[in-house]
Amino acid sequence: MSESSKTLEYKFERTIPAPVAEVFEAWLDPKVPGTTWNAAEKLILNPSVDGLFYWLLKGTAHYGRFTQVEKSKMLQHTWMSPNTLGQESLVTVTFQQQNDDTLMTLVHSGLPDHERARGHQNGWTYFLGLFNEQFGKGSRKKFNWDEAHAGRK
Amino acid sequence: MDQLTDVMIAVSHPSRRAIIEQLSTGPARFLDIAGSFDTALNAVTKHLKLLERAGLIERKKQGREVMISLKAEPLHLAAQWLHHYERFWNTNMDEFQKHFKNKKEKA
Repeated sequence: MSESSKTLEYKFERTIPAPVAEVFEAWLDPKVPGTTWNAAEKLILNPSVDGLFYWLLKGTAHYGRFTQVEKSKMLQHTWMSPNTLGQESLVTVTFQQQNDDTLMTLVHSGLPDHERARGHQNGWTYFLGLFNEQFGKGSRKKFNWDEAHAGRK
Repeated sequence: MDQLTDVMIAVSHPSRRAIIEQLSTGPARFLDIAGSFDTALNAVTKHLKLLERAGLIERKKQGREVMISLKAEPLHLAAQWLHHYERFWNTNMDEFQKHFKNKKEKA
């Protein structure tokens, strides 16, 4: 993670055991588990440059505009939701062939820093409060949509 | 275990969180830390070992004293994990990867 004074950036990598063209197509297929669009209650998806998307999941709306689409190479779109505090963040996904697999890299940048205190001298105390709220028996919790969006419906 | 897990374990106990809070005001000697607790010295030693394993404290010799100080940076690992989108994308990409692994196994 890198962070400026006001925004955060997250980078994720996965090696997918399939050719790059197949992985690229799958990432845009709402039927494929794990894609952004999977499990949406309502979805409008136009993955072309300046095409828009809207997806609704359990009452939370997400909007964005595709800014770059290079088939089997990369996708970039903006991303707005209640979790970006109304600010436009940016999602960039790149696909690289690695032998028979595909190295998929996703970077979500321009995210507002909810936990602004983290960068400050006593930021860890903020974290400890969060930790108490988020963890039960010290085991890692799986992301839970309902929990993450509690009170936002 | 990875460092994130070590950090999670380190801060999961109230005594260790209390030690972190204490050290946030500045380095302390072992007996200064132990003096804040009603528990046995052995228990405090174990807590410090777990904090050390997570990289949250360091010991430095100053003359005849060993001073223990806080290194808060690893807490950012855990804070990062807690961020909504960090969890969201990790979960999604894991599922996406699993989908292809299952597909390959069935082929």
